[in-house]
Amino acid sequence: MLNKRNIIDIIYQVITYLAASVGVIALSMIIFFVFSNGLKLLNFGLLVNDYHAEFYNGGIDDPIFTFSHRPISLDDKVFYSQKWGIGLVDSKDREGNPIIIIEYISGDSPLLEIYDKNNEESKEIIGIDKGFLVSKISYYDKNTSLTMYGAESMINDIESTNEIREIVFSSLGGGIRGSIITTLYLISITIIIALPIGISTAIYLNEFSSKNRLTSLLRSLIETLTGVPSIIFGLLGLAVFVPLTIRFSEATSANIVSGSLTLSVILLPIIIKSTEESLKVVPDSFRSASLALGANHTQTTLKVVLPSAFPGIMTGTLLAIGRIIGESAALIFAIGTAVKDDISIFGKSTTLSVHIWSLMKDEPANIELASTIAIVILLIVLTLNIIVKLISKRFIKEF
Amino acid sequence: MNSIFEIDNLNLHYDDFQALKDINIRIEKNKVTALIGPSGCGKSTFLRCLNRMNDLIDSCKITGEIEFKEENIYTSNYDVISLRTKVGMVFQKPNPFPMSIYDNVAYGPRCQGIKDKNILDEIVATSLKSSALYEEVRDRIKESALSLSGGQQQRLCIARAIAMEPEVILMDEPTSALDPIATLRIEELMNELKKKYTIIIVTHSMHQAARISDNTAFFLMGELIEFDKTNKIFTTPKNQKTEDYITGRFG
Ligand SMILES: Nc1ncnc2c1ncn2[C@@H]1O[C@H](COP(=O)(O)OP(=O)(O)OP(=O)(O)O)[C@@H](O)[C@H]1O
Ligand SMILES: [Mg+2]
Repeated sequence: MLNKRNIIDIIYQVITYLAASVGVIALSMIIFFVFSNGLKLLNFGLLVNDYHAEFYNGGIDDPIFTFSHRPISLDDKVFYSQKWGIGLVDSKDREGNPIIIIEYISGDSPLLEIYDKNNEESKEIIGIDKGFLVSKISYYDKNTSLTMYGAESMINDIESTNEIREIVFSSLGGGIRGSIITTLYLISITIIIALPIGISTAIYLNEFSSKNRLTSLLRSLIETLTGVPSIIFGLLGLAVFVPLTIRFSEATSANIVSGSLTLSVILLPIIIKSTEESLKVVPDSFRSASLALGANHTQTTLKVVLPSAFPGIMTGTLLAIGRIIGESAALIFAIGTAVKDDISIFGKSTTLSVHIWSLMKDEPANIELASTIAIVILLIVLTLNIIVKLISKRFIKEF
Repeated sequence: MNSIFEIDNLNLHYDDFQALKDINIRIEKNKVTALIGPSGCGKSTFLRCLNRMNDLIDSCKITGEIEFKEENIYTSNYDVISLRTKVGMVFQKPNPFPMSIYDNVAYGPRCQGIKDKNILDEIVATSLKSSALYEEVRDRIKESALSLSGGQQQRLCIARAIAMEPEVILMDEPTSALDPIATLRIEELMNELKKKYTIIIVTHSMHQAARISDNTAFFLMGELIEFDKTNKIFTTPKNQKTEDYITGRFG
């Protein structure tokens, strides 16, 4: 028989299950959305390529033809020129306009010798590669082949000629190497600045300071800072760190260093708090034992307390790094939104999260690439998580 | 009498609460002194005065004199670090550091700046031998101290204290967390150690006090009621309260 107690229990259980499943469903929907939109763009090229497409006017003198056979692995949709050792395929860009992509280029193709026509003296080899777009090829003896006539006619044209006047092509672009590098720089510099300061402050507060007005003031200040929206710190970065870096370095605008300084300010309270938490759980019996053995305060802190708190501090650091990767509001001001390919720490560039932001504010929004970057961010966070778990585990196992 | 600690008019307050009241006592060198008394009477508090571990407690205020080897240890320029190297302490709960057995024993000497590996090896080996642990752990000296049993851990803590070559070892109920066999081993060990060291031990076991100590001090509500040779305390106590406590009539 069900009594009142049981019914209440069942109601509570149903509520918890419902709440849990809503959470799980929402999370899986986000992940599903991100993966279904972003997975098709995800490949190695995306990670190492430039974002901005590079246009080339290529020229070639006295090509040596090798007549390599069409590889069997090539798809039927690819049109292949034996003479020039190149396979082209029709495709569409994001806006739906037709494009022609180099799908295959054989290792001995004469086209590999293409040089930069804009720089006639040095005749620097461009290094044409799979994935480049061909927009037009012009000849001395016949009409130019254009993208609008399709890959098949372009292949027919070059197969029947021995000389190419000019070939206009571009790298694919859309790669996120620059943003990845910026993110990594930002993580390293911020951690280098914020971690030592944060950990030292926490040690001072928890191990050395006596309980007085000043320390309790400091504590409540830290507490308050944790709750301040990051965009306000972004304004601080814009008002203080950007001019500061411009004044004392070659920087001319918001840059990676000003971004790192701003993020350091955001992270300090978080690092201080998490370090303090992990110092607090170190049993006092360790401290007493150490002091009773004639160790002084500093030795006790460095040799006994800090090592015991290490896994906790690592977890805090990981959270901090997660925060760096995820932060966008503050960085829009403090580092800027310019997506760049050449990265220097005093130059303009932007992080993966801000990259997503700028992709989504474009018209039309580039949801695919944004989702792909989201996947990359997820993967980075996952990797960091695993690394930290492994380190802490090894550390714990040792003792 | 050859005394190592001379305590005169010791009063101790935690904020407004007086935990020790006008204690006067002479602790004999190279003897085992047992401190007995009901819970909360101030035994641990008294023990912590002897190596100034009470300094860590903010609310603790002390008046009176404690002389260690004829020098007052509660003067502002007294070297607390060197006091603690001469007056070692073993705690109620075994508290080895989360490090290897070796590093635990070598911890104190290292903090005093000894780095030479041969010297450290020597110190670790003799300390472990003196605490009757060497045979059991010689093959796993680099392993974590936390893998030892409770009794072994407590002997490791004794070894750790011995490694400093102290003159006095303070022990606060060192066997209360251990089983009877481990307790017996520690008691045997103390009988060995008292040849070289002065031992002051807090215990709740009358039998333990009777078995191992030369002198016994009986505390009650922060007061030192009686202090005498152990066999006198246990056979012919002068004070009625001592007799009541020993015969189990209260406490
Ligand atoms: N850090 C402290 N702050 C305030 N009061 C304390 C503190 N430590 C001990 N006391 C008080 O001082 C008195 C003596 O405590 P103490 O720990 O010395 O007793 P004890 O004789 O060792 O007892 P037990 O046998 O239970 O260990 C107790 O009333 C206790 O509540
Ligand atoms: Mg006690």
